Amino acid sequence: MTFDTNAFLIILTGALIAISCGFLGVFLLLRKMSMTGDAISHAVLPGIVIGFFVSGSQRSLEVIIGAGLLGILSTLMIDALRKKAKVQLDASIGITFTLLFAIGIILINLFAYKVDLDQECVLYGEIAYLPIDLWITPSGINLGPRVTWLAGLNFFLVTGFIYLLFKELSLTSFDEHFSSAIGIPAKGVNLALMSMVSYTTVSSFESVGAILVVALLVVPPSTAYLWTKSLIPLLRLTAGLGILIAILGYYLAYWIDSSIAGMMVAVAGAFFFCSALIKGNWPLGIGGTSKSSPAFDS
Amino acid sequence: MITQVPHPVLEVHDLTVSYDQHPVLWNVDLSLPAGQLIGILGPNGAGKSTLIKSIMGLIQPTSGYIKIFDKPLPDVRSRISYVPQRESVDWNFPASVLDVVVMGTYGKLGLFRRPGKKEVQIAQDALDQVGMMAYSKRQISELSGGQQQRVFIARALAQQADLYLMDEPFAGVDMATETAIFQLLQDMARAGKTVLVVHHDIHSAMNFFEWCIMLNLHLVASGPKDQVMTEELLRKTYGGKLNLLTQVTDLIRKQDFNPLKR
Repeated sequence: MTFDTNAFLIILTGALIAISCGFLGVFLLLRKMSMTGDAISHAVLPGIVIGFFVSGSQRSLEVIIGAGLLGILSTLMIDALRKKAKVQLDASIGITFTLLFAIGIILINLFAYKVDLDQECVLYGEIAYLPIDLWITPSGINLGPRVTWLAGLNFFLVTGFIYLLFKELSLTSFDEHFSSAIGIPAKGVNLALMSMVSYTTVSSFESVGAILVVALLVVPPSTAYLWTKSLIPLLRLTAGLGILIAILGYYLAYWIDSSIAGMMVAVAGAFFFCSALIKGNWPLGIGGTSKSSPAFDS
Repeated sequence: MITQVPHPVLEVHDLTVSYDQHPVLWNVDLSLPAGQLIGILGPNGAGKSTLIKSIMGLIQPTSGYIKIFDKPLPDVRSRISYVPQRESVDWNFPASVLDVVVMGTYGKLGLFRRPGKKEVQIAQDALDQVGMMAYSKRQISELSGGQQQRVFIARALAQQADLYLMDEPFAGVDMATETAIFQLLQDMARAGKTVLVVHHDIHSAMNFFEWCIMLNLHLVASGPKDQVMTEELLRKTYGGKLNLLTQVTDLIRKQDFNPLKR
C-alpha cells in the first residue's frame, strides 16, 4: 500500500480543524455556552457574505474580519437580550442566530448573480475537494492545498491563544465574579474567546460547513468530559479524539463513498454514545430500579 | 447609631444601588477602622451582598462613591481580596483544590504570566492555614460544603491582601468549621488585616465580631459591637421578625453573655 498524499492531507486538515474546534469547545462547555458556539457558527453568515461582496473573493481577509465582527455582534446581542430584555438564554440564542442567519441567506440571494457563493457550500462544505484547491504563489510555486494552510494557521492561533490566556480562560470560566474582582476583565476574555470561535468557524466552514463545525465544537469536549475531570487531560483527550475522528471519518467515508465531514461527525457521535453508555448512570435491567446513586448535577 | 472613624480603611459615601429602578440600598454612608473583624448583619434581602459587590465594583451604584485606603478601587485592587458566595460557582468545574487556591495569585501575576513555584508555595501556605493541606490534590467536585468554603477562604488568603471582603462564608458550614474559620479571621485581624464578613447568625456575631454594620435597605448602625448590638437597633434591623429576636435573647441568656447590660 503506497502513501496516499491526498488521504494524508485530508486527514491532517480534518484533524487540525477538529483539534482547534475541540480546544475552544472545552472552554465553551465549561462556561455552559456550547450553544453559543452553535449560534456563532450560524450568525457569521451575513459577515461572510458582506466580506465576500466587498472583496469579491471567498478567500480574503475581509471575509474573516466580517465573520469575526458578526460573531462578536451575536455574542453581544445574546448577552443584551438576556440581561437587558430578560429573555431566557436559550431563547435569546435562538432569536439571535436565526435572525442573523436569515439575513445572511437573504444577502446571498440578493447578491447571488454577482458572487460565487451558494448555501450548499456554506452549510455543508466539502473537505474532499481540498487536494484540487492549491495555493500557488505568483511565481508559480505549488505550496499545497490552501485549506490545509488555513487550518494550520487556525490551529496555530487557537493553540497560541489558549496557551497565552490559559489562566485567564480557566479563571473566568470557573468564577466570573472573582476574576472581575481581582481585575481580570471577564467580559474581555469572553469576547476574545468568542472572536476565536467566530474565526475558527469561518476558517473551517469551507471544509466541514457551518452545521458540522458545531458538532466539532460540542461533541469531542463533551465526550472527553465523561472520562476526565481535570482541565489539562480534558484538553489532551479532546485533541486525541479530534485526530481519531479525522482518521476514522476519512476511511469510513472512503469505504462507503460518502461525505467525509459527515462521517467525521458521525464517528464523533458514535464515540460520544459509547462513552455515555460506559460512563453514564444507567438503570440496571429494563424497568428495574437503579442501584447506583442518582447523578449529581452533571 | 453610626460611628465614623478617622483614617478609615474603607469609606462609603451616600451609596444608593438599585436593580431595574428598584432600590436595594439607600443612602449608605459609613467608614471602617483598620485591623478589625467586621460583621455585616441584616435580614434576607437587606442588601448585604449588594454592599460587598458595590465595594468590589461588581455592581454599578446609582449614586455615591467608595474609597478604599483613601483611593478609588482600581488603584488598590491588589490589596483587596474577595470571597464570593459559595453557590455562585459550579463546583463540578474540572480543577483540583490547589488549582483553585492558586487562582488567588492571578491578580498580582498580571496578563499572560503563568503561576510558578512561588505562587504554588503561597497557595500551599494558604491551604495549610485553613487546614486543607491534605486535600490539595482532590478534585473540587469531591468536597463537602464546609471544605469548599475553606478552599474559597484559602484562595482569598493567597491574594495576600490587606482588606478581605467575604460574602456569607459561613453558609452551610458546620459549627466546628465556623468556629475554626472565625478564629482564623480573628488572627488575621490581629495581624492588622481588615476582614469584612457578611453574616446572618446574630449569636456568633456577638461572640466574634468587633465592629458591626447593621443593614436593612438603609444603614441602621455601624460601630463597635458593644454599642450597636442593642435591642432597639436589632429590632430596627430585623423589623417585625420578633420570633428571631426572642431566639437571640434566649441564646444570649443561655450563654450568660449580655452586652446590653453594662
